[in-house]
Amino acid sequence: MAALPKILLVDDEERFRNNLKKMLAAEGFEVAAAGSGAAALEELALKPYDVILLDMRMPGMDGLATLAAIKERHPDPEVIVLTGHASVDAAREIIRLGAVEFLLKPCPLEEVIAKIETAYDRKLARQEKS
Amino acid sequence: MEKKSHTSPLLNLFHDLGGNLAVYGTALGLVILAVPLGLRAGPMYALAAGLLAALSLVTVGRVLRQKDTALRQKELSDEQLLQSQKLASIGELSAGIAHEINNPLAIIRQEAEWLLQLYKKDSPPDAQETQSGLAEIVNQVDRAREITHNLLNFARRSQPVVQGVELNRIILDMTSLVEKAAQQKNINLVKRLAPDLPLIESDAPLLRQVILNLLNNAIQATGKGGTITVVSEAADHRQVMVQVNDTGVGIPKEHLSQIFDPFFTTKPQGKGTGLGLSICHGIIERLGGKIIVTSVEGQGSSFVIRLPQALDRRGR
Amino acid sequence: MDKFKILIVDDENDFRETIIKRLRARKIDIEGADCGPKALEMVDAQDFDVIVLDVKMPGMDGIETLRQIKLKKPLVEVIMLTGHASVESGIQGMQLGAFDYVMKPVALDDLMDKLRQAYERRVIQLEYNK
Repeated sequence: MAALPKILLVDDEERFRNNLKKMLAAEGFEVAAAGSGAAALEELALKPYDVILLDMRMPGMDGLATLAAIKERHPDPEVIVLTGHASVDAAREIIRLGAVEFLLKPCPLEEVIAKIETAYDRKLARQEKS
Repeated sequence: MEKKSHTSPLLNLFHDLGGNLAVYGTALGLVILAVPLGLRAGPMYALAAGLLAALSLVTVGRVLRQKDTALRQKELSDEQLLQSQKLASIGELSAGIAHEINNPLAIIRQEAEWLLQLYKKDSPPDAQETQSGLAEIVNQVDRAREITHNLLNFARRSQPVVQGVELNRIILDMTSLVEKAAQQKNINLVKRLAPDLPLIESDAPLLRQVILNLLNNAIQATGKGGTITVVSEAADHRQVMVQVNDTGVGIPKEHLSQIFDPFFTTKPQGKGTGLGLSICHGIIERLGGKIIVTSVEGQGSSFVIRLPQALDRRGR
Repeated sequence: MDKFKILIVDDENDFRETIIKRLRARKIDIEGADCGPKALEMVDAQDFDVIVLDVKMPGMDGIETLRQIKLKKPLVEVIMLTGHASVESGIQGMQLGAFDYVMKPVALDDLMDKLRQAYERRVIQLEYNK
């Protein structure tokens, strides 16, 4: 059985971020959290991650810019986008930039886990091919 | 009675006489001039003059009708533009609201899920953790309430109530409110108010909101020992101008275009709803004016408001 | 235009009674309430044109009272009074529909000016809504 994926959480909302980290850790995942796009990029440069959960609406470097930067500099991890609202236009752009899944807040923990596993499976499948 | 003022004085003349009358009047004048001249010069010339008169009648009539149609089309498209702008901004607003409300909802769900987990385990859950979770739920509900209440205010489509407004009085009243906050930061609050500033037709409480908001932002942006300057003066085209300038941190260039967007905020989570400047912008537009911002990061910002002295009675 | 009806809501008894006395001397029809709930009762029972409302009161504070007044009688104009400037409640009050926000001590002439302007605004709005 494959190891559980290493997860990086990126969300500026502190309480949300800490809660999700706590709950995923309780399920056995290895989780790190970053409070901004810039912090996320720094973290990605330090360690390898399998799945990134990325909030779209952040002050400073916003979600789209962060997504673009991540896919450019650290294309390996799969990115799941977290959003309170997904408009069709935004969704198109987000998919085009390379995100694989959406999570609409508020999202039940089971849905988060399910999508993380799907994304991780995809990464493994991708790596097996190469 | 609406006073329409057109750029062309000729068109004004036509409107005053009643369009058709002027057309025929002009053509009639031409006929009166042309025919006797033509008759004196010969029947061919008379015919030519008559044709010329008829042509001018048709041409001028057509030009006037086209101008009228064009004007009506422009009014219609202005209205449509306004409506589509409103709809676009409502769309943006909805997206903004959804995001804003879903954040507290997301946290509430997390807290509740976590509490459910705690209660599933065999040993009794930690009282402090339980209390903290429940308290956070209450906290987030209050936050969501703020958002919806602010939203209702923002969306309130109230016609401005037009009265004669002494702008300087408003500026003085609002600056006196923020004086203490400014003093605490050793900020110099300078007022340069034109003594002969004309009374303007506007909505005083709405203007108070705007001025207070700008002053508050200026104080927050300015460090110790800085300066905030408020200027009022009469401006050309029968307008007045109010400026709120600060020597504060300034606004980064990439944010300037979004600064009046609803829910746009650079403040950390929970501090500021991001509605303040968008409300100000909405108010000034509704009052027939314009608000623009210039800023240099590290040097300061300047908000300039222009308002018409008189309002078209529809409050535009 | 001085035929308007005022309600002053302030828990500071001396201040409230002084204002009432001095405005009555100028032939203004004015009543007083020492707290939010009492004010709301009176607003239900009578037709006031302008309400002068203290921001800081024990129990139901000025902002909450303002909210309730605007729900019951949205066309009544409210002038907020404060012992020390709180810019936040000023902004909040005016966003909630307060006509003005004034610091104590307030010169009686200034208050009269503001009352007249507030009353004028009410008259205009009543015309709109006919």
